Amino acid sequence: MNILKRSLNILLIEDHMIEIVKFKKTVSYHDLKHNITEAKDADEAFKILEDKNNLPDLILLDLNMPRISGIEFLSILKKDEDLRHIPTVILTTSDNQKDLEECYRIGVSGYVLKPLKYKDYETKIEAILTYWSLNELKKY
Amino acid sequence: MNLEKIEILERTLKRERAARKAAEKILEDKSRELYLLSEELQETNLKLENLLDEKSSELKGVFENILDAYVVMDLSGNVLKFNDAATALFGYDVTKEKLNVLNLIYEEDEVYAMTSFGELKTKGFFKNYEARVITKSKEIKWVHINASIIFDRNNLPIAAQGIVRDITHLKLLEEQKKQILNKLEKSNEELYEYAHVVSHDLKSPLRTIDALLSWIKADNLEKFDSETVQNIELIEKTVENMDSLISDILSYSSADFAAEEVDVNLNKVLQNIKTTLFIPTNITLSISPNLPIVKGDSTKFQQLFQNLISNAIKFNDKEEGLIEIDFIEEPTFYQFSVKDNGLGIEKEFHEKIFKVFQSLTKREDSTGIGLSIVKKIVDLYKGNIWLESTPNVGTTFYFTIKK
Repeated sequence: MNILKRSLNILLIEDHMIEIVKFKKTVSYHDLKHNITEAKDADEAFKILEDKNNLPDLILLDLNMPRISGIEFLSILKKDEDLRHIPTVILTTSDNQKDLEECYRIGVSGYVLKPLKYKDYETKIEAILTYWSLNELKKY
Repeated sequence: MNLEKIEILERTLKRERAARKAAEKILEDKSRELYLLSEELQETNLKLENLLDEKSSELKGVFENILDAYVVMDLSGNVLKFNDAATALFGYDVTKEKLNVLNLIYEEDEVYAMTSFGELKTKGFFKNYEARVITKSKEIKWVHINASIIFDRNNLPIAAQGIVRDITHLKLLEEQKKQILNKLEKSNEELYEYAHVVSHDLKSPLRTIDALLSWIKADNLEKFDSETVQNIELIEKTVENMDSLISDILSYSSADFAAEEVDVNLNKVLQNIKTTLFIPTNITLSISPNLPIVKGDSTKFQQLFQNLISNAIKFNDKEEGLIEIDFIEEPTFYQFSVKDNGLGIEKEFHEKIFKVFQSLTKREDSTGIGLSIVKKIVDLYKGNIWLESTPNVGTTFYFTIKK
């Protein structure tokens, strides 16, 4: 069966170099060519999000970031009328139950733990990409 | 006068004399009786007076000797009497200076004080009044007061009395206790956060190492000999062990950090474990139906049962492994059991296994923390844990959870 999938504009907010490489490598193996924009911290991310005509389809957010933490970034994002609709998925190694509950309370579309094994990581990322490629999303 | 007449008169006189004598005698007796009676009365009166003296000196003794301050005041609050303790507490000598209790009230407690004063007048007493007072030397002290109205013979209020206890020290201790508890709670929370941050910081590099290794492997698939491939696999295994060690230390350190207490349906918890835990096909996990609903943190109960069950799986050497979860209800607690037909544990290790990092076997998939987490959680819910075991036959872990 041939289901129409769309390629995504993804904003990856992650400060760790290897993590960025991991993500890019995994995405490059996916059957769809997605467009990735990187931001090393919240400030950089907000700068990218200033261009309202070119907003990402999906934000992947690491919780442990310098200066403004992932949760702080999320709270600001979800209070912004222009940005709050963008699906945001947390990508983290922290299984802190308090963080998880707080993220869902503020409003995330997913909370995914980075597994130890790279193979497992690939499986999880591919699932996220596939899921969001199947979704209807706001057009810019 | 003839003789006959004289005789009659003489007889009459004699009778009268006798009658008078009798009357005198009666009178004498009566007055003696009266005298004795009044003597007796006097004696009784004296006794009564003595008794009264005794009572009032007893009262005086109480008044002087009680450790609490005793205050008598008129109905407008003017102090009539202080005992020594009251003089010492308030710093005023009421035999030399006038004092109204209103002048003792600490400003912030004025409304409360006036309400209690009104209650004293309408109801005739107040109890357990706790507020601050200002002493003569401007010191602020906490006092506890029970007070009542004094009535006269006709049941009219004439004064009020109060027993005042200095509770400044007690209040201070209470305040200190509150502060220490607050601080402890805060530092516990910080510790919990800290443990999570550290564990994240330790786990991240492990993820990097694993990713790099898998790329090295993928890029050099043809170039590496079998020994190198094996070594890389050993590194991967080591990284895995390290990762689970970090996870276990984290859950051990946060095992006694209790989240909000809610009703936890243990049937759901066990169902959840059954679906998420990897159970080999040769092992049957049988769970007693109708497990109770307990109060606590559901992740803690999940951890508790999961650790015991995964141990039972890990250390089962039988062709047909059997793990049974059961419970009995006691008036004040539930007693659970996790029974297996596995390797069994020698008696000498029954205590030791609950200590952190005490693994009985050097196994790659065992960090030696699992049972110490179990113990910590059981402790958290004020229960006990123990086991019965026969080597090569099996082990039953018992633990209780307070209702």
